[in-house]
Amino acid sequence: MNYPVWQLDGAGGGLLIAIMAIVHVYISHFAIGGGLFLVMTEMKGYREGSQEILDFTRRHTRFFLLLTMVLGSITGVGIWFTISVLNPAAVSTLIHTFVFAWATEWVFFLAEIVAIFVYYYTFGTMARRQHLQVGGLYFIFAWLSLFAINGILSFMLTPGAWLVTTNFWDGFFNPTFWPALCFRTCIALMLAGLYGFISAVTIKDEKLRETLVRYCALWLLAPFYFLLASAWWYLHALPPAMQDLIMNRMPELAPFIKAFLWLSPLLFTGGLLMAIRLPAMVKRPLAWVLLAIGMIYLGSFEFIREGGRRPFVIHGHTYANAITLQDTARTDQAGVLATARWVKNREITTDNQQEAGGEIFSLLCLPCHALGGPMHDIGKLTAKYTLAGLRARIAGLGGQGDFMPPFPGTTVEAHALALFIMTDRHNDRLPEKGALLMPPAATIPPFDMETSDYVLLAWTDQGIHAISDCDAQWSFAPPGSNLYALLIRRGATPELVNDGVTITYNMEPGDQVLAGATTNGNMQPSAAGPGFAAMGLPVVPYTSAGRFAPYPLVTITARAANGQFLAVARTVLPVTTEIGCRNCHGGNWRVDGVAGISQKTALGVLEAHDRLSRTKLVAQAAAGRPVLCQSCHAADGKGPTAPLNLSAAMHGFHAQLLGNLGAEACQTCHPAGPDGATRFFRGIHENIGLNCTNCHGLLVDHSLSLLQAEKMAGKQRAALLMARLKPQGVTTMPEIKPRQPWRQQPDCLNCHEDFQPPASDSTFNHYTEDESGLFGRRTDAIGIPCTACHGAPHALYPANNKFGQDRDNLIPLQYQATPYPLGANRQCRVCHRQEMREEMHHPNSLREFRNLRENASTKKDRHG
Amino acid sequence: MDVATLIPLADTIPVPWGWFQALLLPTFVLHLLFMNLMLGTAVIALAGELWQPANPASPARDLAGKLPFFIAFTVNFGVAPLLFLQILYGQFLYTSSLLMAVYWLAVVTLLGLAYASVYLYRFRYDGLADKRRLVIGAVVLLLLAIGFIFSNNMTLMQRPEVWTGYFSQRHGTLLNLGDPTLFPRWLHFMVASLAVGGLFVAVDGQRQTLLHPMAVGRVTAGLRWFTYATITQILVGLVFLITLAPPIRDLFLGGSTLHTTLLLTGVTAALASLALAMAGQVWPTVAATGATVTLMVMVRDLIRHATLAPYFTPADLKVIPQYSSLLVFGLCLAVGLPFIAYMLWLATRAGKEARP
Repeated sequence: MNYPVWQLDGAGGGLLIAIMAIVHVYISHFAIGGGLFLVMTEMKGYREGSQEILDFTRRHTRFFLLLTMVLGSITGVGIWFTISVLNPAAVSTLIHTFVFAWATEWVFFLAEIVAIFVYYYTFGTMARRQHLQVGGLYFIFAWLSLFAINGILSFMLTPGAWLVTTNFWDGFFNPTFWPALCFRTCIALMLAGLYGFISAVTIKDEKLRETLVRYCALWLLAPFYFLLASAWWYLHALPPAMQDLIMNRMPELAPFIKAFLWLSPLLFTGGLLMAIRLPAMVKRPLAWVLLAIGMIYLGSFEFIREGGRRPFVIHGHTYANAITLQDTARTDQAGVLATARWVKNREITTDNQQEAGGEIFSLLCLPCHALGGPMHDIGKLTAKYTLAGLRARIAGLGGQGDFMPPFPGTTVEAHALALFIMTDRHNDRLPEKGALLMPPAATIPPFDMETSDYVLLAWTDQGIHAISDCDAQWSFAPPGSNLYALLIRRGATPELVNDGVTITYNMEPGDQVLAGATTNGNMQPSAAGPGFAAMGLPVVPYTSAGRFAPYPLVTITARAANGQFLAVARTVLPVTTEIGCRNCHGGNWRVDGVAGISQKTALGVLEAHDRLSRTKLVAQAAAGRPVLCQSCHAADGKGPTAPLNLSAAMHGFHAQLLGNLGAEACQTCHPAGPDGATRFFRGIHENIGLNCTNCHGLLVDHSLSLLQAEKMAGKQRAALLMARLKPQGVTTMPEIKPRQPWRQQPDCLNCHEDFQPPASDSTFNHYTEDESGLFGRRTDAIGIPCTACHGAPHALYPANNKFGQDRDNLIPLQYQATPYPLGANRQCRVCHRQEMREEMHHPNSLREFRNLRENASTKKDRHG
Repeated sequence: MDVATLIPLADTIPVPWGWFQALLLPTFVLHLLFMNLMLGTAVIALAGELWQPANPASPARDLAGKLPFFIAFTVNFGVAPLLFLQILYGQFLYTSSLLMAVYWLAVVTLLGLAYASVYLYRFRYDGLADKRRLVIGAVVLLLLAIGFIFSNNMTLMQRPEVWTGYFSQRHGTLLNLGDPTLFPRWLHFMVASLAVGGLFVAVDGQRQTLLHPMAVGRVTAGLRWFTYATITQILVGLVFLITLAPPIRDLFLGGSTLHTTLLLTGVTAALASLALAMAGQVWPTVAATGATVTLMVMVRDLIRHATLAPYFTPADLKVIPQYSSLLVFGLCLAVGLPFIAYMLWLATRAGKEARP
């Protein structure tokens, strides 16, 4: 926030510092161990009276001098130069906090230079004892340099008590200071052996060569035990959360951990191989191979260490992108652009959105991500996202298992950033086909208020049935729509006709059912209530021509036992495959560019699951065994280690990422978005401007209610996810009421208390006791299901369907020529053939409909 | 745009700023002297290669042996003042370094190349034969370029008013070419290098006169380099003074007693060194030169202080006292320096034949 950002484009993403640091680290450790190696080898030469060994030492000193002084010291300065232009804020903190540690290190560095020059240039001319003293002093000062730098390096990983006290010594002698020092000392000694090989294998005399190669092997092998012990100590000196991050929660570190574990025995074996008698033509290349392995070995360790401190550069203080925790308090409120010093666009408008997004990218992302280039290219990393997905991902940064800092800006800034990345990096993406297949206007079956004897009502219990149609990979929601019908014989006292009639259903032409399934059949007496039902109809949102059609119609006909026609009705069986997995998991829509889970998306989901939960679902699916999500995430899983039920798992996990998006969070996955193809939230509540969160609460709260129930059921995983979510609609976690998915939903009567106009427009945290209270199951005082007169949930009359405004309202239009609920506007005659004075169905039913269509838009504006 | 809003907030410091100022000046003087030795002797070696390629007594061979030391100590003594400068003026220095990041980081590569080249020059002196001039020529060019980059950064950090250039040039390629003081300033340091380099040749010749009577020629030649360079330097210094912004310049021309006195004393020391060199007094010239450099470093510091005064002064830095780390540094320095002296003493005793 304080400094400008160097626009590096493809050379960003840490490429510069990675190159500089890897070279420096590998040489600087050698500069320490190698110093001791020189003195010890010189002593060996004196002890054994071997001029050859002394000559070797001298030759090796020259190699040592050139390598450490030229490449070593210049890259050391280079690191300093590089980090101060890449992350000046963090460097400034380190410099100002540890100025006298750096200054002390400078003194040691000076002594080191003097010592190695004196040692090399007086080789053979200075008295032995004094020459050894100079060599010894070199090693001591070199090691003291490590001592000083190690305090600062380990501080960045584990600042410990410094975070509270800001005391120099708390920061310097931090929790990992000693194990890191031991570890690095061991590495330094081993590198002495590895570099020693390079000089030793060139010795012409075979006997001497073998002797010295074996001697170098001893340097490599002897510290190994201590190295592994200090690595173990190091790991266990880390705070448990950091250990967990490194070992379990950061799959990106796995290759480095693996490399470290595999290269340990390899390096050891290499050392043993060097120790046995082998021809020079084998040992010479082997020496270089081992040197390269050593570099990867040390590089892996440094990557793990740097990974462990993510998302910070100074753990618990400064994020990798130089934003400090202190900064975030300000940026969360005012936004990044308003807070940063070095930006041109202070506010985001429609005209500067992309440019401002670019500036946000520079401030927040560029420190770690390149635009193109070989390292951490944002283009590659965001290739699978849609704009909506990317925006959600950005807003949800810093959540569970995330090693990226939280996004410190506003939602508008997140959008601008996502837009910039998409335009700058993915502008060449082909636009998807998005033309919807609009069905012909539905014909309304006949009904004559004067002469018709029957009213046939039909409905489904779900405003949308979302199905997963990637069955070859996984499934959690197979097709299966439920159709209900109620036959009423009209009269002053209408009768429900349950016997002696045949009710049949017949899908419209277009065959929107699973292959091989029939499109018609008889409805059976309903098990759940009065009337008839056809359960689990295999309806799919695709026509026989393969087009997306989420609102197929079904015609219901009632006949007497003798086959005499009694009544006919028509309704929709809403079904969709527009599930937003692809927003973040990659792939395109499978059908019409608007819906359907493609194979790529489906595999992307499994890959993410495999990566984060260490499963092998991709392999399982590839082996012909598609994954049924509920086979693990069962509704009735028992025991502390049982996986969460699917709803708790899905919402609980994704809330970590999408939790900051408000109502839009829901639409990232569910097909409710105004720009989506299905737009299933289309009933009266949508018409007057409510959104998902009015009834269901914000995603985080919604998820917490599900997790709360799982936690109370003793599932450990729930607590883990809950720890990373902060309630948004209530103040404290205990206020969140537990909720069972599907069985407990918002109760309509929470707002419509006693069926009256609502006093409030939100009802989070108040649920039905069980299924019996669900809107889809409930009946009025005399046993008529609510849905029979009001329509399906999310599509309550008067619904507004994108595929023909009244496609959901065919029933009320048929019987009362208005899209309003049955009986609204005192249309009692539909069933009763006369006006009624008693509110028999429910209170407040005998009156004019409040939310007439022509008024709805005004209300929508008010809510919106 | 109010440029003052661009200046980043400074971090707190553990001891009062005067400590850092006191550490900055002497370490910078040492850095500068080694830098002068490095560049000056490289130029003189190059001159030797160009003008007297066949001369077996050319100072180039001897200088070849010294250059690696000079680079090593220039770098080492550069670390300390750069550290203390970051403490005092970090918010300016980090910003300017970043604005010219491409060039600033190029220093690392250029320096690495120069360093490797001087070792090549030293260890392959005879083998290189005719190519020596190319190698040492490259070293000179590399060092001049590094000096130019440093001059740019040290002036750019003092000019927040041109920092807005970042908004049209965000790739770290901004230089301070519009600053009239840039070239005179850079030349001032470069010409000083010739003088100091020449003086080193003279001192080295002086030390050898007992063993090699021919070395007297080196003393004369070295002092000649010093004299001509210093005469040029007085002219360059005058141009530098003229190009300073009037309010700053006026401070040194009577506007402020401290500024004027310091500059006058520095000039006097320079003139004295010139007179001493012309009189063939090697060691007195060294002393006068040392005094000149020290005084001019202080003048330079006053210029920076005055230039940045509208925005900031190090006295503004907030102190959160933590003296213990300073104490430990002091102890390490007190222990380290005798060891360094001891090793150098051992080296001088190790026999004159142990030449680098």
